[in-house]
Parts: sequence; structure tokens; C-alpha cells
Amino acid sequence: MKTTIILGSLLAATGLGTSASADKLDDIMASGTLRCAVVLDFPPMGSRDADNNPIGFDVDYCNDLAAALGVTAEIVETPFPDRIPALVSGRVDVGVASTSDTLERAKTVGFTIPYFAFTNVVLTREGAGIEKFEDMSGKTVGSVSGTFEGIKLEENIKEWGAGEFRPYQSQADVFLALSQGQIDATVVTSTVASAIVASGQYEGLLIKGDAPYPVDYVGLIALRQEYGMLNYLDLFINQQVRSGRYQELYDKWVGGAAPKLTIDNVYR
Amino acid sequence: MFNYTFQWRQALQKLPLLLDGALVTLQIALLSMAMGIAFAVVLAVARNAKSRWASAPASAWIEVSRNTPALFQIYMAHFGLGSFGIYLSPYVALLAGITFNNAGYLAETFRGALRAIPGTQMRAARSLGMTSIQAFRLIIMPQMFRIAFLPTTNQMVWAILMTSLGVTVGMNSDLAGVTQDINVRSFRTFEIFAIAAVIYYLIAKAVTLGARLLASRLFRY
Amino acid sequence: MFDTALTLSDLMFLIKGAGMTLAVTFFAVTGGTLLGLLFGVVRAQVSVWAALPLIFVLDVFRSVPLLIQLVLANAFQAIAGLNMPPFVTSCIVLALYTSAYCTEIVRGAIEAVPTVTRRAARSLGLTWGQDMRFIVFPMALRVALPSWIGLTLGVMKDSALVLWLGLIELLRSGQILVTRLQEPMFILIVVGAIYFVMSFPIARLGGQLEKRWREND
Repeated sequence: MKTTIILGSLLAATGLGTSASADKLDDIMASGTLRCAVVLDFPPMGSRDADNNPIGFDVDYCNDLAAALGVTAEIVETPFPDRIPALVSGRVDVGVASTSDTLERAKTVGFTIPYFAFTNVVLTREGAGIEKFEDMSGKTVGSVSGTFEGIKLEENIKEWGAGEFRPYQSQADVFLALSQGQIDATVVTSTVASAIVASGQYEGLLIKGDAPYPVDYVGLIALRQEYGMLNYLDLFINQQVRSGRYQELYDKWVGGAAPKLTIDNVYR
Repeated sequence: MFNYTFQWRQALQKLPLLLDGALVTLQIALLSMAMGIAFAVVLAVARNAKSRWASAPASAWIEVSRNTPALFQIYMAHFGLGSFGIYLSPYVALLAGITFNNAGYLAETFRGALRAIPGTQMRAARSLGMTSIQAFRLIIMPQMFRIAFLPTTNQMVWAILMTSLGVTVGMNSDLAGVTQDINVRSFRTFEIFAIAAVIYYLIAKAVTLGARLLASRLFRY
Repeated sequence: MFDTALTLSDLMFLIKGAGMTLAVTFFAVTGGTLLGLLFGVVRAQVSVWAALPLIFVLDVFRSVPLLIQLVLANAFQAIAGLNMPPFVTSCIVLALYTSAYCTEIVRGAIEAVPTVTRRAARSLGLTWGQDMRFIVFPMALRVALPSWIGLTLGVMKDSALVLWLGLIELLRSGQILVTRLQEPMFILIVVGAIYFVMSFPIARLGGQLEKRWREND
């Protein structure tokens, strides 16, 4: 490995190699693989089939992106809290992982324009005595550590001054804890909530109304300084919508009219 | 050299939060050790007992705790027991997992120490009119603790290190939990974990030093 | 409870995870033992003051949780632009971690060889290297082997933490199946049993060796 680095830098130094000013996009095209960070316990965006192979909206999205780049896709499973570390640490090239575009995160990584949008709902268990969002006050609730809805829910619990918030390291652990009764409710994106309830995988889970949070726009993520890459990704997202592929994937995994990805009265 | 700008200021601002977490870490480690030692004495005696009803469960506890990962044991305490409707909060699950582990390892340490105490002492104590419980408590146990002191200190350091595993079952108040919480918000992974590492190191050193002082006071001839 | 949706292919998935656990353990223990031998001999030969930097560094590896070490190392390799796959990072961290404990085992074992024996060997005209090879090594090995087996098993169990870097080892593959099948207790018991099967016989062997050699002393 070391020799290749030395060789590579020698080639680069003498201008013989192609990597003289290679950016991420060049690297991906040269290596022939696109490594996507995908969260696989977040159906329908990402999950595993009966043979434990990755499937889902994000998996298809990554495959489309790889096809556009003319390379093969490699799905790297990353739990939610690990998405950005995986990207920053160079384990993956791009995150196709339903990442909310918060300003705090944008200090560390680069976001594309939104490629999906979520609304959040309250997911609870039969007999937990929760009928609407405010009923969660005083209960034990949980969510995935560091996610958009997780941070909001923890703030709510602090505001109410009653109840307990438990951060888990993966979405699967949250659902497991909820179905076992370790926690009484969680706030989760509506698509995921309906997919989970419809799957029948967990017994007795119920959706109880919307959480009063703003629409959660999610973008693809790449390294902050990789403008070439980010530019390409923006155009790719635009093309996915323009070509109807976005709606097609939405029909396949969720169903209905795909959410609008633009915000009124302002440019992105 | 590095294509990265370290943001130490941002991370150091969180130091008070991390120190609060360190206290919780120390608390769990101490509690799990106190309970672990109590269980371990019982397990050590039970495993040596002639009755299979006493030795078999003790052996099972000891072997399972020593032959599966601590992370597995903690995960089991939270999600495994959860499927029987037994809900342990992350704090209790972590405490239970580490206590289970401590007890198993310490039981073997104590058993080794018991072997090193000559059998004649028990007989001598009994012939002086002590009951077997008195003899064990007053003659055998103090010697056992003395022989096992160093390995017990090591286990204490292990207990501190094991508390970091609580983050996998939703623990967010101990040092590792606080660290991860700050990490997922700011993504300054290296800086924040480096500070946590220093704190862990200092706790471990303080405990070792404290144990040495304790030993020099307790075990003076 | 035994009415389970766990299929044969799921079981193979777990076995594959166990293979990853064994692979990480193998590289970590091999690397850690070689380093430990080197550091242990150094520790036994030079004075405490000269070895102080080494003692300090190895002490750090034993006083900071492995989880923190793994995350730190992974963040560092990214910052330094080393581009190491998580498998390599995991093996390196675990190898250093192993070496820290192995050093103490090796040092203890060498120091357990009576000085008079070594003096006698040297006065018979053996060089330092010969003394180490023919006198110290065979005697120290008996002292070190049981602890070394314990260390190896310890590393195998600690290797579960590499799941934090995204490696799908035994425990992680168990978690993946729990997500899909929703039978936490049953799957966790299977996972625990696999760990037990990998660890217990070797642990027994170590205990047996220790007992037999102690009796011969």
C-alpha cells in the first residue's frame, strides 16, 4: 500500500500520472467502484432481504448513481451515527443515507440539494397511553442518537421537564426497544413508520399523529471540499426527478405522490 | 501534512459535560465491583461445593461470563431480557452486565486464592470452637482478599473500561455516552474522543494509585 | 421458543460473522505477540528508566477503553489521509492492544527464570542469544503459555467491538438478524453459544496446561 502511495505521488509529481489534480470524482471513476454509505435498518430507505442482501430506496439510488458514473456500486452499511464519520474517515465516497441537512453538520460535511423529504410522526405501542404528540410528556421515549428527530425529541423532553430520553445507536434498536416496551414512543419519519407498521415485523406498533416538526429535507453527503463531486450529485438529483426515476423509485418503495423537493420563496 | 483542521476549542468547551460523565462512569464501576465481589465470594464457594446443585449453576455463571464478550452480556441484559418483559434501563442493564462479568472473573481469582490457603487453617479454626461460617469469615476470607488484591485491582480497571460499552444500549450519561452524544452533533470525532481517552486514562491511574494506598494501609503486618 | 424463522442461510450468515471474528483475532494476536515478544525482552533487559516511554505508551493501551481506541484510530487514519479499510485499522488497534498485555506476560515469564540459571548458562560460555534461545525461552514459555492463551481468548471476545467501525463480525451479524427476524433472545443465545464454542475448549486447554505444569514444578 505504501509503495503505491509513493509511486502515486512520484507519478503525480512528474506529471505522468492522471492524478495530478485528481479530485474525488476522478478517483471514483478511476477506481471503478462507488462506495455508498447506506443505513440498512431504515425501511423502506434501506433494509436487508431474506438473504441479508441490502435493498431499499437508498440502495437503488446508489446503484443509479453508480450506473451514471459508469462504475459498480458498493453498499457500505453505516448505522445513523456513523454516516458522517464514515465519510470523513474516507471509508465511503458518498452518503446516500437520508441525512438531514442541518447547519451544524454542514460545518463538517458538504450537502447536496435535497433528494428526499420526510415528515415525522409519533410511533407508539398499544397500551402505552399515547394518543398524540403531547402525550409523550412524562414518558420514556427514545430515538436514534444525533438524528434530526432525535435531537428535536430530546429538546422536547427537556422542555416538558418530565420523562426520559434514550438515544440508541441504530434505528433497529429503537424499534426493538419500542416493541419490547423499554420505551413508550419514538418520533420517526412517516415513510419509515408506515413501512414498519405495514411489515408486521413488530407487533402492536401504532402511528399516533404528526410530530410538529418542520419538513425534514435530506441530502446526499460528500466531503465538504469536493465541489466537483457535490456539483455532479446536484445535477444527478435534478436528473432523477426530471427523468421520472424519482417518482418511479417512490412508487416502488413507498407509493403515492413523491414529496416535493423545492422550498417556496427561496433559492437553494 | 493533514488535510484537516483540528477544532480543539469547540471540543474543550464540552469538558464540564465530559467530567460529569466521568463521575457516572466511576460510580457504575464502583457499584459493579462492590456487587461483583459479593457475588464472586458466593460463586467461588459454591463452585467448590460438593453438592452439584450448588456447583453447577456457579460453574455455568462463571464459564458464560468468561467465554462470551462483555458487550454481548450487556446487550443481553438490555434486549435479551427485554423479550421476557424484563425492562432494565440502560443504566441498570450496564450495571447488571458488568456485575455479571466481574463476578465471573473474580470468582475464579478468589478460587485460586482459596487454593493457596492451607486446609489446616480451617481445621485449626474449627478446633478452636469456631463455626465453619465464622472460620470462613474471620480466618479464610481476609487472607483470600489479601492474596487476590492485585488481580481485583486489575478487574476494577477492567470495570471502568467496560462502562464504555453502555453506549450500545442507549446509555448517555456516562463518559462514553456523553462523548458519543457530543460527537454525533458536532462530528468532531477525533478531538472529542481524544479528550475522553485522556480522562479515562486519568481515572484508571487514580484507581490504581488509590488501590495501592489502600493496600499499604490494610495489609500492614 | 424453538419455533424460529432462523433459516440455514441465516445460520451461515452468523458463521461468516464468526469467521470475521476469527480473522481479526488471528491478525491481532499474531501482530500483538510479535510486538509483545520484542517489547517484553526490551523491558526485561533495560532499566525501568530507559524503558519509561515504552512503559507509558503500553500503559495507555491498557487504561483507555478499546472502543475509544478504535474510534480514535479510525478518525486519525482518516485525518492523516491513510485511507485504511476498517479491517486494517481494527487489526492494527487490536494488535497494539494485545501487545500491551503480551509485553507484561513476556516480561514476567523472563523474570521468572532464576538469575542463577542464566548466570550458569553464561559462565558455561553461552552467548546472550544462546542463553535466550536454549535456556530462557523453554523455561519462560511454560510460565507464559497459559496467560497467553487467556490473552488470545480475551482479544477474541474484545474483537466484538470492531462492529463499531462497521465490520460485520459475529455479534454484529447477530444484531442484523435480530433486526430482520425480531427474535432477540433466541438469536442472542445462538450468538453466545458460538462464542462459547470458540472459547471454552481452548480456555479449558489453557487451564489444564497450567495445572499440569504446576504439578511438575
